[in-house]
Amino acid sequence: MSLVPVYRRRASALHAARAGVSASFCLALAFAPILFDNPIVLGALLCAVIAAGIGAGVARELRRWAAIAFGLALLVVIVNPLVTSDGLTVLVRGGSFLGRRWDITLEATIYGAVAALRVLDVVLAFALLSAAVDPDELLRALRRVSYRSALTAALTTRLVPVLARDASRKSEAARCRPRPPGRSTVARAAVAGSLERAVELAAALEVRGYSRARRPQVARRPWSRHDFRVLASAVAIAGLAVVAKLAGAGGFQAYPTTHVSAGPAQAAVAVAFVALAAAPFLGAAGRLGVARA
Amino acid sequence: MPEPILAAAGFTYTYPDAPAPALADIDLELEPGSLTVLAGESGSGKSTLLRAACGLVPHFHGGEASGELSVGGLDVRDNGPGELSQVCGTLFQEPESQVVMGGVRAEIALGLEHRGESPAAVARAVEEAALALGIAHLLSRRADTLSGGELQRVALAAAMAHRPRLLLLDEPTSQLDPVAGDELIWMLRRLNEEWGTTIVLSEHRLERCLPAADRVLALDRGRLACDAPPSEFLAWAAEARPVLATPAARLFSLAGLRPLPASVKEAKKTLGVSGLGGRVSEPASTRRRKRGQAALELRSVWHEIADGPAILRGVDLRVEAGELVALMGRNGAGKSTLLKHAKGLLEPTRGSIKASGEVALLLQNPGDYLIHEHAREEAGERALLGAGLQGRGEADPRDLSGGERQRLALEVVLSGEEPPAVVCLDEPTRGMDRARKEALALRLHELAAGGAAVIVATHDPEFAARLADRVLLMGEGELIADGSTAEVLAGGWYFATEVARVLGGAGGALTPEQGAAVLERELVS
Repeated sequence: MSLVPVYRRRASALHAARAGVSASFCLALAFAPILFDNPIVLGALLCAVIAAGIGAGVARELRRWAAIAFGLALLVVIVNPLVTSDGLTVLVRGGSFLGRRWDITLEATIYGAVAALRVLDVVLAFALLSAAVDPDELLRALRRVSYRSALTAALTTRLVPVLARDASRKSEAARCRPRPPGRSTVARAAVAGSLERAVELAAALEVRGYSRARRPQVARRPWSRHDFRVLASAVAIAGLAVVAKLAGAGGFQAYPTTHVSAGPAQAAVAVAFVALAAAPFLGAAGRLGVARA
Repeated sequence: MPEPILAAAGFTYTYPDAPAPALADIDLELEPGSLTVLAGESGSGKSTLLRAACGLVPHFHGGEASGELSVGGLDVRDNGPGELSQVCGTLFQEPESQVVMGGVRAEIALGLEHRGESPAAVARAVEEAALALGIAHLLSRRADTLSGGELQRVALAAAMAHRPRLLLLDEPTSQLDPVAGDELIWMLRRLNEEWGTTIVLSEHRLERCLPAADRVLALDRGRLACDAPPSEFLAWAAEARPVLATPAARLFSLAGLRPLPASVKEAKKTLGVSGLGGRVSEPASTRRRKRGQAALELRSVWHEIADGPAILRGVDLRVEAGELVALMGRNGAGKSTLLKHAKGLLEPTRGSIKASGEVALLLQNPGDYLIHEHAREEAGERALLGAGLQGRGEADPRDLSGGERQRLALEVVLSGEEPPAVVCLDEPTRGMDRARKEALALRLHELAAGGAAVIVATHDPEFAARLADRVLLMGEGELIADGSTAEVLAGGWYFATEVARVLGGAGGALTPEQGAAVLERELVS
């Protein structure tokens, strides 16, 4: 199994829709949490991504990304109360240092947790994108806008698993040495190895006519029901996020005391996000996916 | 005569900062529709010639070029790889480093899209290239799920999807197992015969591709040393460069027979026999060996994974001190896993492993062991001496040749306080020329003479015959044969040396020298 979760074709509405549309759906799920601080809404958005992941058959990949993202989220939870002493409820008095007080407050800790939840939302939305959107198709579309950037991105998506395997082999070889070297030495060698790979790939690209590359022609493809359903969900999620934000449905006050708006408006927004994320996968039309695409 | 697809006149090329030219005074003309094999030892200039033909030299690598070299009428000094890609497709050694896109279909389409082909034309060309190379079933797969052989065929399809007139291949089988390597050569032969594609192929295992070749170019230190049809090349090699001669040709040469054969079929035809004498005397199961001190003992070792088949299935194995063992079997048979268990990189799910001392393991890519910026830092002066790299301590290990890297990596794993009781090597001869294989075999004999048990996982029956006194054959995680080298390799069909196939296993002869002795006996009687 690959160390880094990668795209695999599966029978789901998200895989069957054109890459640009599927990417829009995932980006809408990544965009929404950026607008909100309210933990109810952020929690609902996490549920929405997970629901979409289950619907797309990539729950396993999301779980592996979640394991990676959890460390980052934990760091945010720990660091925020250390760098912010705002809030009235002091949990630990840290005294004065460098001209300021280093108290740990309940409010800063809660806000750290909220920020961590947002990090999880965004990372998992991008994980959904990497697991359910064909990178080749997406990058082919992007090549029409910026050829070299798109090809660089294509190479990156291709090279990540290759370099992960290279690093794993180097680490195994290090264990075979009578005096195994430190991790940093192996990591440095892996980086140097990746540069060699890059040079070889550059040569391979040259002999494939890269220097004379023209903008690829557009392939006309009729819009399928999956394209419509997924795009409608994407637009609805992004639209709901903007409207709810403007309407103040995501109310949250971190300091000086924590106040979470938790009324019918927040509940409605939360339920709507989950329902919209799950919508493309519901019903017979949503399940048939690849077979009729 | 039709206009040559590739023409060189006094072409000379020197890499940046190199003391001597990599190619010197090359004069040649290649006829369209021919299949040409480039022969030569490592560093003889084969890859450089191919890189010059596709425009990477000098445009990508820099350096100085003089003389004339044109491909499809385009002068390589005025036209870079982009322009030359209209005429030629290129395939390198390492499949992982030449597949750019994540998916197979997108990979084959990339070159065509670079040319601005319409989506319909791209789709058709992708389909046809995939069908021609027998990879239509892979079109929806992701590149990272393919085996090395599949990946190399995808890269070949990508190189030839736009139907280039010339296909340049730089040791395309060196990283593949023999089955995948043979399939690729057959595929090239078909492309050449049915599509008329001109093919230039560099390869170390000449016995694999000479039967398909129209012509052989042998390079020696950057100069064209021989340019002849296969049979004439073999006659030249037998006299001037024995390391380039195929085993069958060396057999005939040593036995004083002519003409030298380019294939097993030709050799058998000349001999007029399908098998000489009797086969090796004893079947594997009845073999008796003197019981010495066990250096490594595996008792009913299993390696099972959670969501897949068992990789090792109750392996029982005893290897004695000083023994030289070749471990053979197809890809996925469990050879590498067995060696990793011996070293302790993996824990058996059932069974036990005992070693009488340290186990040294050299995995498939020696470059993975070289992690410092200077060769000296890898394992000290003693290791440099052992690797024959005296005076190269300041060199960056990445600048060493393939053979030097491997020698140094071997010394790295041998550099413990105590000499290892067991030395294991996984596929050490991939991409090696015959001279380097001989040198490696010699070093391993030295280690065995010093009391180490040596176990080498290999697909190369010629190397196994040179090295080992015992061969283990694995299949589906089990040991399916265990016998002397002659017993296992002389009686086989696939796991057999070329000499054994020529002689039908007669007298258990495996090497040209042994075969020549058998032939002399048979011919005299």
